[in-house]
Amino acid sequence: MSKKKAQGTNLLYQLIGEARGYDDVIIMGRGDPDFDTPAHIVAAAKNAMINHHADSTPPEGLLALREAIAARVKRVNNIDVDPVTEVVVTNGGQEALFLMALAVLAPGDELIVPEPNYNTYADSLAFAGGVKVEVQTYAEDDFRADPADVRAAISDKTRALLLVSPNNPAASVISPADMREMLDIAIANDLMILADDIYDLFVYDEFEHVSPASMPGGKERALTLNALSKAYSMTGWRLGWIVGPADLMARVRELKAAISGGTSVISQHAGIAALTGPQDAVEMMAEAYRWRRRLVLDALDAMGIKYGLPQGGQFVFADIGFTGMDSGEVAQRILSEQHVLAYPGSAFSKDRKDYLRMTFLQPEDQLIEGLERMKVAMANIVAEG
Amino acid sequence: MASKTKAEILAGHEANTALNARSLAPAPRHAKDLGADGMFSPLDERIIAAASEALEAGQTHYVDVPGIAPLRSEIADSLNRETGARYEPGNIIITAGLQESRFLSIQKIGEDFENIGVPAVIHPGVWKALGVRAREVVSLPVDAERGYLPAVQAIADAVAGGCRLLYLESPSRLTGAAYTSEEVAAIAQGLSNAGAAAIWDGGCGPWVEGGCGSLAATEESPEHITTIGEAVPGMGLASWFIGYIAAPEDQIPAMQSQKQIMAICTSTAAQFAALEATKLFEEARGLRLGQLAQFKSDLTKTAASQNIAVIAGDALNIIALRASEAASARLREAGYEFADGASFGAPGVIRLNVNAVASAALQALS
Repeated sequence: MSKKKAQGTNLLYQLIGEARGYDDVIIMGRGDPDFDTPAHIVAAAKNAMINHHADSTPPEGLLALREAIAARVKRVNNIDVDPVTEVVVTNGGQEALFLMALAVLAPGDELIVPEPNYNTYADSLAFAGGVKVEVQTYAEDDFRADPADVRAAISDKTRALLLVSPNNPAASVISPADMREMLDIAIANDLMILADDIYDLFVYDEFEHVSPASMPGGKERALTLNALSKAYSMTGWRLGWIVGPADLMARVRELKAAISGGTSVISQHAGIAALTGPQDAVEMMAEAYRWRRRLVLDALDAMGIKYGLPQGGQFVFADIGFTGMDSGEVAQRILSEQHVLAYPGSAFSKDRKDYLRMTFLQPEDQLIEGLERMKVAMANIVAEG
Repeated sequence: MASKTKAEILAGHEANTALNARSLAPAPRHAKDLGADGMFSPLDERIIAAASEALEAGQTHYVDVPGIAPLRSEIADSLNRETGARYEPGNIIITAGLQESRFLSIQKIGEDFENIGVPAVIHPGVWKALGVRAREVVSLPVDAERGYLPAVQAIADAVAGGCRLLYLESPSRLTGAAYTSEEVAAIAQGLSNAGAAAIWDGGCGPWVEGGCGSLAATEESPEHITTIGEAVPGMGLASWFIGYIAAPEDQIPAMQSQKQIMAICTSTAAQFAALEATKLFEEARGLRLGQLAQFKSDLTKTAASQNIAVIAGDALNIIALRASEAASARLREAGYEFADGASFGAPGVIRLNVNAVASAALQALS
């Protein structure tokens, strides 16, 4: 496959591979926080290696962790779940997403997905044999998913709605009013809801995150995923979860047993420490992201690049359509010339060739340096007309 | 109001007999639990130190989808040394345990084939992996006198009948019976002649004294053979869930993409622990084999004294017995857990993990 023909995930792999070859590369694409996992969580893992390394774990995870998860989703998301029957621990949010798709969708079923969205949603859906029905969102609306558009997309094959809030990569947050309307649409049409709450602790300004399962009528038809990767800087630990109604969760458990059997007990003990221990590191990181977000937005303003205001999450979806170039080409130019990796929008959707996803998950000095270099690259591109 | 959609979803799952029919053997829950698949061994303090050091050095982030490079290299070297295979690090994907290895290999390699041949008696995790997304299965008859392995002729018959992908265990996860080198060569020749492929679970191979033949080591068809198993077994990492897939180069991209879709990568701490364990494995295995040989010999004698038939098996880490329902019930009443052969497709057989407690379990049968 030639470089210029690569698309989607393959294009990402190609760019990531090239980035590894630069000693001075600044990665502004990948959703991996620069902070290391807080020390008390690492200490708990070390303790688990000594005292719990041979603990047995059922596929759904250690009960102590499921209890901690149940307490967390009650505290943060206002979702009531029974830790015994309504929680399954997963190998990160990615496995949670995969399991949710397999649990709810049969071949031919349609899933309504606000677009743009994270590329592996489509991959998980394809594995399950489902059909993605996209609802467009627009930068000028800050990528708001309009419930009216969702309603219009429903067919007799629609089985579920995917609601990702804050969204990846567009960073939009579904307002409480819109979420209520989405849920009413689901109830009226007897649809299931797949909710991705992984960025729920990262919401900015006046915006508010709400889980559909916390609303009246929501819990019995919603599967909600989350993970420790983003909030606790634990991407390498591969620890996430799904919560939902007991009858569906019994199927999620069976699927988890079939796909990977269980989840590392060391990661699980680390997860218990994360959820039950001090939370000041989470707030420290959230504060850093708030500040860095401002840095990125100011730099984009200075470059004259438009974007949908990131209401949550850890990234900005920036419109580079004024260059007249495909985002893959722009990402390639920025990487080759300035050794800065931003993810092309075409990796997320074939309709987003005018966008770049930029994260603010780098130390501030690197972020500032990366933005400066990007400014140079964009100026070169514009100068070439 | 009850959701009709949800009721339909649940009914669809209920109808999935492969996913529902058999249960997986759980990890051990207490000292008398002899039913687990994994080898639950002490964890060497050097492994703890290496994993801790990696975490403290900031190895808490995503790593490459197929695994950290030095571990892939060590796994390839280990397979080559143990079985005579010829894998390169690029042939290796580190997985979140054996079950993920089963699932990834069966589902992704299976996409290229109309059906898959599976022994009638096989680990229940194989049926689970098959059940997630329906595949046409060709059932390979097994020979009870041969430790419930399919006879070489049964495999040849399936291939002659058009089956071009086989899933095989050697040693058997139920009895520990393994194919001889001659049988492995004959299977390989048959597959090669037909251009057929195989997924080969050789995970119990390290527990056969003197080694165990592997399809991947034959001259005839290494480019069609995918090997799976637990990474560094018997080193106290069973609950860390870490396994491997060793596959032909052309099979790697599809499985790597699927791994990204399913989990992005495997736990970083587990990979660094496994990396250290590879350095200690040879010495530890030698000691372990000696222990297991003694335990299994004791068990066999105890079984004979209780008039319990032992099914011959080469792997020393498990022992399979013929046991009536009443005998099984007595064992349970005495507080012992075991793997029920019915979940493998062999009612009337029970499987025990070979360890110091197992002889006491057999005494409980009397």
